[in-house]
Amino acid sequence: MKLKGKTTSMVILSTVLWVVITLCGWMGHHIVGMVLGVVLMLIHMMLGASRNGELDKKFFIYPLLSWAVLWTASFILSEYHSNLYGTAMPDFTILGFHPSFAWTVLTYWIGGMLTLTAGFVLYKDLWLSEEDWDNFRNSLQEINQKRGLAK
Amino acid sequence: MTNGAKILITLFSLGMIVISFLIGWWAKKKATTAELYFGSTGLFGPFIVGFSSMAAVASAFAIVGIPGILYSSGNAMTYWMLSSAAFAMAYIILGKKIRAMAEVGTVASLGDISDLRYNNNKWIKILMSIIIFIGSIAYLASQIKAGSELFSHLLGLSPMIAGFVIFGILILYTALSGEVGGVLTQAFQGFVMVIAGIIIIIAFFSMTGGFGEVLKVAATAGTVASGEIVKEFNAGFLDAWGIMPRSVAMTWMLIPILGTVGQPQVLTRMYALKDPKDMPKLGLYASLSHMVVGFMAVVVAYGVLFLVGKGLIPPLANPDTAIFAFADYLGLYAQLFVYAAILAASMSTASMFLTLSANIIARDLPSALGIKISPQKQINASRIFIFVIGILSIIFSLTSGNMVAILGSFGWGTLMSATFPVFVIGLLWDRATSEGVLSGLVVSLILNIVSLILDRSGFKWPGSVPWYVNVITASILVTVVVSFFTKGATGEDLDEKVKMVIDL
Repeated sequence: MKLKGKTTSMVILSTVLWVVITLCGWMGHHIVGMVLGVVLMLIHMMLGASRNGELDKKFFIYPLLSWAVLWTASFILSEYHSNLYGTAMPDFTILGFHPSFAWTVLTYWIGGMLTLTAGFVLYKDLWLSEEDWDNFRNSLQEINQKRGLAK
Repeated sequence: MTNGAKILITLFSLGMIVISFLIGWWAKKKATTAELYFGSTGLFGPFIVGFSSMAAVASAFAIVGIPGILYSSGNAMTYWMLSSAAFAMAYIILGKKIRAMAEVGTVASLGDISDLRYNNNKWIKILMSIIIFIGSIAYLASQIKAGSELFSHLLGLSPMIAGFVIFGILILYTALSGEVGGVLTQAFQGFVMVIAGIIIIIAFFSMTGGFGEVLKVAATAGTVASGEIVKEFNAGFLDAWGIMPRSVAMTWMLIPILGTVGQPQVLTRMYALKDPKDMPKLGLYASLSHMVVGFMAVVVAYGVLFLVGKGLIPPLANPDTAIFAFADYLGLYAQLFVYAAILAASMSTASMFLTLSANIIARDLPSALGIKISPQKQINASRIFIFVIGILSIIFSLTSGNMVAILGSFGWGTLMSATFPVFVIGLLWDRATSEGVLSGLVVSLILNIVSLILDRSGFKWPGSVPWYVNVITASILVTVVVSFFTKGATGEDLDEKVKMVIDL
């Protein structure tokens, strides 16, 4: 995925999202704010994970997009089950949790952490490979030599 | 609590303090250069850095305050406490760029990275340092107050004596070994927190029978009263949102997750990592250890709800005592680990912010003001400032309760409002200008102070959204908008090596 030339647009989008999310908070639209928050985080991770303006499609799909879908589903399901039962005892639980809170535990916390962290470990070379790092250091060295600097 | 229990808790906690001191003493021989003393730059592997980062992030408030909030308002705060994914996210966003900056030039502090990115713009460095310094002192004072009062209450000592014993030792080893000792002792303290967390989590399951039992109790307990203290129960209290306005839950999801990448205790640890390719492993260790500590806070709250709902203990007059009520009910083994975990949390966060604030005074501010000091003199000055700031903080935090409470408002959100424009926007976007970032910092500083004054005067923000959200949004908006109309530290003015970091 080419992000080169799109960085400025993505930064503008993320700034607009910050404003819209804050307004959502003011007006009580928490679910919209949370889902947009996921988009905001996704944009930051896409920018951070890109290499020379290119984001590997595999890394985008897993872990980034998979994580975003998981969290979006988590917030919507939490809201749905909260509204469904109100203050009453739900007629089923998930691992003993209130179904609304179960999504926080299973998808927001454990699922979110495992998806991002395991995906990051698994596809670490798509984020920063040995070659990327060596090339970066070599290029730095060349520039330093030209400038006559130690570092 | 029996005297025997108090003696055991004291010995256990003392053992942890002594081990921390010995680690710090050993580490001083490694702190040979300014880069190592101030930043541990490129020194440690992912396990040490991961545990250190988690321990510095999880403050005493996370162990004591969060269970109290969960007990009184339900699950909304779990979005903050179960934000373990934030570490991997932070490293994906900024890990390789911050670490790469340490290859571009001498990096021993966040101010050094600001210098490299914004061509030694002294105003950016000064303003960022001031905001981080305010946030650091706020964190430091609240950790000292929490740790000192805990042990003064336990042992019947004056808080000042308890404070000088615990944090006096901390000041000594921190001054001797700088960030090298800081990272190592925090990793050890993080390990103690994880062990305590595992024991408390097991104890919760064996006491309650699991979360289903707590939900049943919440659904059937109704109103539980003891004198004037009343606790209302219903099943909805344990849904995802609890009884806080749901916009607050939104904030408590967004700010800790995206805020982690802007916390100095995470940013500085990115360049402490030896091999940047170990960043994913660093994320794994930090996240896993955070999962245990975060879950501990949740099970403590659930455990107390279970005990109160069942009538086994009276409703809490002060929700902040939830963790002690839980440990007292479980008995000596839980008390031992709970006190050790709180002490570890307060010491790790305190040492992090003590070195950070001393480094700002001894290194970043003088260099921003054009005062040239040799690296060895910087280390000596920092040692003196660690003593001065540490001792003043102990006295201040234990004699000015009201001021500590006021300063306590400058925490996570304040630090994020200063670091987000400088590092997150600045290292992801080569069009972020020095004028834009400086404007964002000016807005951040002014709005942090104005918001605090408004907050103290009882001003209600729309939708109950915490004030720091507005400040962060305003500082980011101003940074980006001003960047479109200015040019400093971009294009031809951007160092070729820094451009390579942004593209990495």
